[in-house]
Amino acid sequence: MIRSPLTNPYLLILPGFLLAAFIILWPLYQLGTISLNDVNRFGQLRGFNGVENYVAVFTDPDFLGALWRTFIWTGGIVFGTLIVSVPVAMILNEDFYGRSLARVIVMLPWAVSLTMTAIVWRWALNGESGMLNSGLQNIGLIDQNIQWLARASTAFPVQIMIGILVTIPFTTTIFLGGLSSIPDDLYEAAKLEGASRWQTFREITLPLMKPFLNISIVLNMIYVFNSFPIIWATTQGGPANSTDILVTYLYKLGFRFGKLGEASALSVMMFALLLVFTILYVALAMRRERT
Amino acid sequence: MNPKLKKSLLYWALLSPLIVLILFPFAVMFITAIKPANEVLSPTWWPREAAWRNFIDMWAVTNFGTALWNSIYVSVLSTVLALAVSIPAAYAMSRFRFRGQGFFRQFLLVTQMLSPIVLVIGLFRLVVWLGLLDNVNSIVFVYGAFNVAFTVWMLQSYFSTIPKDLEEAAWIEGASPAKALVMVFLPLALPAMTVTAIFSFINAWNEFVIALTMLRRQESYTLPIQIFSLVAGRYTVEWHHVMAATFVATIPVAVIFAWLQRYLVRGLAIGAVK
Repeated sequence: MIRSPLTNPYLLILPGFLLAAFIILWPLYQLGTISLNDVNRFGQLRGFNGVENYVAVFTDPDFLGALWRTFIWTGGIVFGTLIVSVPVAMILNEDFYGRSLARVIVMLPWAVSLTMTAIVWRWALNGESGMLNSGLQNIGLIDQNIQWLARASTAFPVQIMIGILVTIPFTTTIFLGGLSSIPDDLYEAAKLEGASRWQTFREITLPLMKPFLNISIVLNMIYVFNSFPIIWATTQGGPANSTDILVTYLYKLGFRFGKLGEASALSVMMFALLLVFTILYVALAMRRERT
Repeated sequence: MNPKLKKSLLYWALLSPLIVLILFPFAVMFITAIKPANEVLSPTWWPREAAWRNFIDMWAVTNFGTALWNSIYVSVLSTVLALAVSIPAAYAMSRFRFRGQGFFRQFLLVTQMLSPIVLVIGLFRLVVWLGLLDNVNSIVFVYGAFNVAFTVWMLQSYFSTIPKDLEEAAWIEGASPAKALVMVFLPLALPAMTVTAIFSFINAWNEFVIALTMLRRQESYTLPIQIFSLVAGRYTVEWHHVMAATFVATIPVAVIFAWLQRYLVRGLAIGAVK
């Protein structure tokens, strides 16, 4: 092979590697340092204090609330998305009139930024003038205005619903890829053997879709866990921190309450958790590669 | 009734609740955007007459022009930055087998998984340290760096579909690697690079939390932050202007995305699942 800088892979990947590494490692080093120090709200370090910041995070009742809600948030959206996306993908995989239009509509939420979606919903959910209340009243489902975002008991479920809506496109896409990889003759053979629809689904579709289901679950867990704009643009974690999840709580700790030490400690822990998820993903993807 | 028509009606009926939920916010956005100011707070669905003027008034009231320019500036430059470092990296990943390749792949995956929000305090300090706080260039730098993983991933999966024989044939004909690259490879890779660039642009266009953190003055706001600032922490919100601004900021990008979505799917599928 002819020698040239263009045939040296290390030179070629170097700029990208340095840029990506710098933007991750420098902040990560900073977070690690701050989290182990006593720090004032302007970010000045005032001496090593061990794991005190970590302890402070864990003894904060708001943290425990946000942690619990993060579980519900992530679990609810990932599971809800899965339940909706499997049948939607199976329908969109069939041949019917207007299928391409249906596909475009289902994919639409993916095309709009989460911030904008959340701002529109914030207005639609407005207690007095929101179009959701007036729409529901017009079709006779409710007879009184509901203050959707004023209480966590209505706000949080609605936020989860929005989360599910915007996660469906990506998930459905992965499933459509999976469905198209199942050879048609399997279905034909099952039909000849007299299998019912349910049997075909359970015995053929589901097992062959499993790798795609796994990958979509892990990826969605990571994305949803990290998702900030929906909650921030609708309620900012309010009223009284009752719709905070870890990412919004982290943001408040760092940029509203000025508790940089605790915020850094929380970041480091979330980073570790995400790393575990990622390793899980890699393991799943590799297992697929081998088989 | 023929069976396909019957099936179609059934499927559309099954999909209809989801479709209503998906289209609802778009309807709210559009209808509010064309409501006259005195009708916005009355909870009716249709305005008595369409106030197209909202789109013109909105431009001045919401400081739309500046934010639009900032968004374009940030999205274009961060895409250029990401592509400038990603194209060589993706080329190396798709053309050579080398020690450390697996490590680089895993490293990209980890960067891709980390949302900037987890690092936001560290990033904030980084930007302060570089003296770039409140400067749109800080966003260019952060977006560019965070986009590297995605762009390398996408480009690599497309580059792998371009047969290597063509470059080798050029080498045998006596072309230098540089010449083979420019004359043979790049023209074939152009569509992939265009698609990747557009997605990188859209990512930057839609980003929220980094811009929210680093930009403190209105002159440097990008569109999502500008529109968010019209809503958050205010007693009176001019919803018809906000929705008009949201509409203009969203629809062009959404149309491009919907049009190119299948390329994203293909790139992700080749890269991620295989």
